[in-house]
Amino acid sequence: MLVKSKLNALTALVSDATYDELIWMNGFISGAVSVNASRPAVAAASVKIDKITIVYGTESGNSKKLATGFATKVKQNGIAVKVASLDQYRLNDLPNEGYFLVVVSTQGDGEPPAAAKKFYDHLFADKVTLSNLKYGVIALGDSAYPLFCKTGADIDAQLQQLGGTRIATLQKCDTDYEPIANEWFEQVLSVLKNGTDGGPRPQTHAVKKVDKKTYAGTVVTNINLNDKGSEKKTHHLEITAEGLVYEPGDSIGIIPENQPETINAILETVGINADKIIQYRGEEKTLFQLFKKELNIVYLPERIVKQYGTIVNQEIPETKIGLLDLLKIYPVKDAQQFEQVVNILEPITPRLYSVSSSLNAHTDEVHITVCRDKFYINSEERYGLCSGYLGQLSENIQLNFYVHKNNQFRLPHSDKNIIMIGPGTGIAPFRAFLEERDATRATGKNWLFFGDQHFTTDFLYQTEIQNWFSTGLLTKVNTAFSRDQPEKVYVQHKMLANAAELYDWIHSGAYIYICGTKEPMSVDVQEALQLIITEQGGYTAEQAKAYLEQLEEEGRLLKDVY
Amino acid sequence: MSNDKKLSEVEAIKQNSDGLRGTIQESLQNEITGSISEDDQALIKFHGMYQQDDRDLRAERAEKKLERLYTFMIRLRLPGGFLKPEQWEAAHNIAGEHSTGVIKITTRQTIQLHGLVKSKIKPAIHQFDEAQLDSIATCGDINRNVLCSAHPGQSAIHAQVFAYADKISTLLLPKTNAYYEIWLDEEKIADKKDEDDPLYQDRYLPRKFKIAIAIPPNNDIDVFTNDIGLIAIIENDKLKGFNIAVGGGLGTTHGNTATYPRLGTVIGFIDSEEKTFKTVYEILTIQRDYGNRSDRKNARLKYTLDKYGIDWFKEELEKRTGFPLDVARPYVLNERKDYYGWQKNHEGLWYYTVFVENGRVLDNEIVALKTAFLEIARTRKANFRFTGNQNVIISDIKEANKIVIQELLDKYHVIAHTENASAIRKNAMACVAFNTCPLALAEGQRYLPQLISKIEVLLSKYALEQEEIVIRMTGCPNGCARPFAAEIGFVGTAYGRYNMYLGGDNQGLRLNSIYKENLDEATILKELDTLFNIYRQQKNEGESFGDFTHKYLNN
Repeated sequence: MLVKSKLNALTALVSDATYDELIWMNGFISGAVSVNASRPAVAAASVKIDKITIVYGTESGNSKKLATGFATKVKQNGIAVKVASLDQYRLNDLPNEGYFLVVVSTQGDGEPPAAAKKFYDHLFADKVTLSNLKYGVIALGDSAYPLFCKTGADIDAQLQQLGGTRIATLQKCDTDYEPIANEWFEQVLSVLKNGTDGGPRPQTHAVKKVDKKTYAGTVVTNINLNDKGSEKKTHHLEITAEGLVYEPGDSIGIIPENQPETINAILETVGINADKIIQYRGEEKTLFQLFKKELNIVYLPERIVKQYGTIVNQEIPETKIGLLDLLKIYPVKDAQQFEQVVNILEPITPRLYSVSSSLNAHTDEVHITVCRDKFYINSEERYGLCSGYLGQLSENIQLNFYVHKNNQFRLPHSDKNIIMIGPGTGIAPFRAFLEERDATRATGKNWLFFGDQHFTTDFLYQTEIQNWFSTGLLTKVNTAFSRDQPEKVYVQHKMLANAAELYDWIHSGAYIYICGTKEPMSVDVQEALQLIITEQGGYTAEQAKAYLEQLEEEGRLLKDVY
Repeated sequence: MSNDKKLSEVEAIKQNSDGLRGTIQESLQNEITGSISEDDQALIKFHGMYQQDDRDLRAERAEKKLERLYTFMIRLRLPGGFLKPEQWEAAHNIAGEHSTGVIKITTRQTIQLHGLVKSKIKPAIHQFDEAQLDSIATCGDINRNVLCSAHPGQSAIHAQVFAYADKISTLLLPKTNAYYEIWLDEEKIADKKDEDDPLYQDRYLPRKFKIAIAIPPNNDIDVFTNDIGLIAIIENDKLKGFNIAVGGGLGTTHGNTATYPRLGTVIGFIDSEEKTFKTVYEILTIQRDYGNRSDRKNARLKYTLDKYGIDWFKEELEKRTGFPLDVARPYVLNERKDYYGWQKNHEGLWYYTVFVENGRVLDNEIVALKTAFLEIARTRKANFRFTGNQNVIISDIKEANKIVIQELLDKYHVIAHTENASAIRKNAMACVAFNTCPLALAEGQRYLPQLISKIEVLLSKYALEQEEIVIRMTGCPNGCARPFAAEIGFVGTAYGRYNMYLGGDNQGLRLNSIYKENLDEATILKELDTLFNIYRQQKNEGESFGDFTHKYLNN
């Protein structure tokens, strides 16, 4: 159809485009079609729309915040709207949906957030026909990860596969998601207001890769907070960097380096010199440079292991395995094959750590609280890449990092009371909160629940907490040490033991913050809260649940769980 | 009554304590610290505990933002130092479950456990209670554990005298029910009148108070170092009564010349049980009313006695008891030792005295004392007695059972360990000091064994290894291991430095005196090398090192 020159140009353009670029071009062309061409590109009829469903799958609350923000605007335009979290969305309703927006984030290595899992599986498992569906997907993610916005992209493609019709092309958003998401939504809104025919076809915007400001930090303190005899190693790191800007509640992202011992062992196994320069995705680099700072060689995702199997022509069972072990068990034929292997490797992804300090207490400093992630492979003790890397950093080492904003986890107005529930490293943001409130002389009362394994060895920041309690900054502190007595005692038990007072605080407007492991801690804590509200408030379980949902709605129940 | 000076802080704490309760319950419930409040720290002593912390770990824990590693030491009340086998087994289990696992025999014939964290105190006391053991009044300004010459083989009237220790201890217990309420969850007593305490009132004593009973000729419990010393007067194997000595006490303070060690003064004789108890009781009331309550360093009975004089004291005592003291009877105390190895008493029961270095019962590569004692306890064929020199007497063994005990002692190398220890090591004693004692300036029990090994080399150089020289070391001048009543005394002044005292006698009847100050190990050994050489050359036949140095240094 195209003249040869156009076809050549297009072929050339497409051939070395990345997946994201292709998606963008796709959107660009669709947009051009809807504007210029006489034929309607997607939905044919020009009907006024009176109803829409917006669903969201959220982990940190960002998707939810976007979804509810959209819903408000839709309502303001006189269109009825139903908003639902994907874990509460009735899957049977899907075939009957008309206009339908999905806001969904992507976790870790391309996984859907827990709340979207059921929906995601449903789309891919069941043979549903969605011919009425007129949909748009907005995907949130972090471009530092190889499978950026994968969940959103999967859902977008599958909805079309099942017979749905796009009213807008997939929009991917990086960590600074708000401007681009709002722009996309404005265009969706105009479609809704004017009918699919009435206005310009919503376009996909190029993913603005967030150019995260990287700080060159210096580690000035690195202490293991646990005493001898503890099963844990929790490192308190203090890092200085000039011109640092962050707020309590934020995290910092750190890209760990691989251990020189592992790199040397790999190079020894394949018999190749560390200084050898190879081509990696169009750039020339030394092997050592690639391995030290850029490529993930420690625990390879399944897809990489599979590709490795193809290169070396071997069946490799699914297992958590690093490059070194792969090379030992399934050796490469020669240097050329090794270079092929290097090229399938993905970049090292950053790890996020909640900030445990306040700039108002420490100018140009950020503190983090890192629990060394210990596990066993073939009964050999191993540490997680990043926590292992940070744990062994000595003072004066340079460390690059960026600030990852978390507007979903902020202190309330200074006169509001807060309840902080943060066992283990969940204490981190609360140390930041308390430093901030101390430095700014906030008048709100503060109640901390902390827990860990043993009082004697694992009471993180004990002397600081004691000082804050004695100066009155902390109004109340309750601790739960699970392994100091025959029966396990956790923070939720301490909450239940203080039920009346806790309810009193909540009822009088206190903000509740939960930080730490998602399961089982945050689930148990949420259950305890529900029980306290039921018993102390004289509600039914259903009403208590609604009470908590209301708190979440009002931004008075906030979670930073992982 | 005794002076108008401002009372010491502890006095107010005692008086406002609501019968030694204070805020101990609240302190126990505080979730963010392993310590208890400062006032409660003073009160908990009356319940037999000290709050301590691991001084070795202070700096490291501070860097980790952890508070000091606070733990508690608990000391039992064992008048005369006696445990049934099932009680030893209970103590063994409690030590393993709640403390460091080491059972420490003290210089006052009892046992103490170290390293209990706050949350383990109540479970430990519950278990002790189940074994009919308590820790009431083993520390604090009150009558402490009552001592009695340890070895039943020593005299036919041992059992009779031993019973006095228990009765005196019971007589002088505080009346408050606080111990049972706080630690054993007993109901609060509704009527506070039941707690009226005519002896201690709400003030208790100005300072600690110590009582010991000696059965001549052995002064194994150092009778003259106690506030009250009772010396059994035996005629024709019959107990006639007791000579009473008052005003002994060894605690001093570096650089405070108003403090000094003092041996008890014999003030008379009493002949009946009833009169003995009355006399002891009224000595306490005099000290209660006249003791110094403004300066705790000058508050022991010895200072009261020296302030008012012996004559006044006797007069006041007779006024309070309502009967006169008789003239002291003659007695002979010519030894101060434990009878190591097998001994038989007049009823044919057997005793094995085990050497326990510094009273620390544990298993090591040479001897498994802890395992041996546990297995012996499990046979139920022997009792346990503790000596004032921190040793254990496996006691009251029937002839038929001796072989079983002998085999266990052999199996765990206890006999070899006891027999192989040198004379000087067996006569040595040290206090706890580092790492838990808050008063310690220098090491005690962790260091003395090494020093002894070096002194042994010197002694053998001069062929003096058979001399039973009494060496005692403390980490501070408070005197827990009675260093001022030793032939060679070492009192810590700073880390690795000791004042050296010489010239005390072997039997504990004469105090030593300061020889040189602030010596390090090399200097100590150099001094001893010189002294041993002179002693070997110049001593008279049978002359003890203490007597020799006393004479030599005073010439």
